[in-house]
Amino acid sequence: MKLPNSLKTDRVTRYKWIAIIIVLIALIVLPLCIESNYIKHLLIMACIGAILGMTFSLLFSSGLITLGAAAFYAVGAYSSTVLVMNAGLSFWAALPLTLVFTAILALGFGAVFVRNAGVAFVIITLIFAQVVVLAAAQADFLGGWGGIMGIPRPNPVGTVNFAAKTDYYYLILAMLLLVVLIYNALYSSRIGRAWRAIKLSPKLAGTLGINEYRYRLLAFVIGSTTAALAGCFYAHYSQNITPGAFGGWLSIYVQLYAVLGGLEFYILGPAIGAVVMTFVPEYLRIVKEWEPIITGVILLVVILFFPGGILGTLKNPPALSLNKFHSLYNRLVTGKKRDSNS
Amino acid sequence: MAKNMSPGLFIQLIVNALTIGSIYILMVLGLDIILRGTKILNFAHGQLYALGAYIMFLFFQTLKLDFTLSLILSGVALALVGALSYLGVFAILNRRFTVSSTFSYRLLLSAMASVGLMMILQQGTLLCFGTQELGILSPFPQILEVGDTRISLSRLVIIFLSVAICIILYLMMYRTSFGKLLRAVSYDPEAVTLQGVNTFWIFVACFALGSGLAGLAGGIIAPLFSITPSMGQNIIFITFLVLLVGGIGSYRGTIAGGLLIGLLLSFGFQFLGSAAELIVFMLVIVILIFRPGGLLGEAAE
Repeated sequence: MKLPNSLKTDRVTRYKWIAIIIVLIALIVLPLCIESNYIKHLLIMACIGAILGMTFSLLFSSGLITLGAAAFYAVGAYSSTVLVMNAGLSFWAALPLTLVFTAILALGFGAVFVRNAGVAFVIITLIFAQVVVLAAAQADFLGGWGGIMGIPRPNPVGTVNFAAKTDYYYLILAMLLLVVLIYNALYSSRIGRAWRAIKLSPKLAGTLGINEYRYRLLAFVIGSTTAALAGCFYAHYSQNITPGAFGGWLSIYVQLYAVLGGLEFYILGPAIGAVVMTFVPEYLRIVKEWEPIITGVILLVVILFFPGGILGTLKNPPALSLNKFHSLYNRLVTGKKRDSNS
Repeated sequence: MAKNMSPGLFIQLIVNALTIGSIYILMVLGLDIILRGTKILNFAHGQLYALGAYIMFLFFQTLKLDFTLSLILSGVALALVGALSYLGVFAILNRRFTVSSTFSYRLLLSAMASVGLMMILQQGTLLCFGTQELGILSPFPQILEVGDTRISLSRLVIIFLSVAICIILYLMMYRTSFGKLLRAVSYDPEAVTLQGVNTFWIFVACFALGSGLAGLAGGIIAPLFSITPSMGQNIIFITFLVLLVGGIGSYRGTIAGGLLIGLLLSFGFQFLGSAAELIVFMLVIVILIFRPGGLLGEAAE
């Protein structure tokens, strides 16, 4: 029996292993070939973006659309900063504490948010992201709108002190790979299958004995904690954080990564989308004020004509022919239903 | 700024609350009509509001047209923009969905398409009108003085116009066959198709009506606030907030939510300063703990 695509777990075949090894070597060698610090900065930001995008995909795999990735990203950044700068902990002690703190916070808020599915969940998470930004701006010990400056880089491990961008790139790459491994294990486990079943049909999943609420809450907590991990590394990389950097529109960019890369691909999709969305707007800066318009048009073209995203389009290339445009025209203008042959 | 409450200040704050509350109500009614009719969470709604204010500026200040006429024109212009963007974006997107597309997939893709639309609209407005703040000279500059209470007439006009629009909308939705069709489509589009109605144009009408309401809201508020390209981004969060508090799909809830948020923000800014917004947002989360579907909404889908 042929299962629908969304229920199949990705089987890593031999060729995939070869591809994965080549990509890994490329990722490790890459910073050694690049001189420019600016490109290295973009690479680091792309890795952070990829982690954030994967948290979105994790929640989306259970049918939840979150706009709150930025909220827990901010919580992670701020709590790690406070633990290091005010409590005087080392970065490596602050990191697990931050993750535990965020997980508890996500459990508390998630218990309320996850009760609302669909549109209400989207709006609540968007508003929550805004609440976190406003709260950070109001709190004096977090520096208000001015934020916190002079956050130290992570404490040295052995002889590596993470001051150079290349070292930090390897650190964040290791974190990205860790997240990929954990997420991959989750997706191919019973939990991941339960999430996909809920996404396909909550009612059907319920009749199969899957507790929709608990599994969605679990996805919310894991996703939020991962976002906090990304936030931690962002704060100690950029060395200053302001509430404005975590504004509500950041979450929308995170969504973009997943949509652009391909929604069917929970791990590779956000990674590719993050790389594209980090580099393309930077190079579009040449056209200055036209940049948002071009980004918007690219987004619309991808959604309308390549809804599978970059990876989905590569997997199933659309057969472009005059006939297809003709039938599209027919469908739109005369309102005729889909032809039987398309 | 007096911290103690005098009756004059109290009335002034109430009028302010009604003013911004009625604008929120118009915005949310538009958003709700689009959301329930076409199942699109329209992130471009705030940008349509900003565009409405700019078109009002164009007709009223630059072309020196009559106030009511330019208001109607800005509503009609935005309805056209909405219809065109539905035809150009969401109609094509709808054809992409198949029976097996999950609800969350449809919701995400249509929301992302509206984000793309928002980017284009925002930057387009900025390129056309520039970044500087524009202002419209209010056609009603008089200030009413009763005792120690000072109320500007233009605020009262805003409230009056919003109430009038709400009543017209109500009559249209509940007393005409067109309104019946709109409500039927938001309830069950397939059943409407089975009755032999071409729902495609009803969807276009839904989107145009919602956009037109956003344009009217922008046009009405234009004489009171300065017009900036970022005004759309500022209002969209509060619009979503009101939608959530009132409950999706409840007109009475929308009106109650709009007035509640208007009152809270108006009094909050007076007595709490910049922390008001934060406190209101937190209050909404508390409301949602006890009433997940919003104040008067049905339980969320």
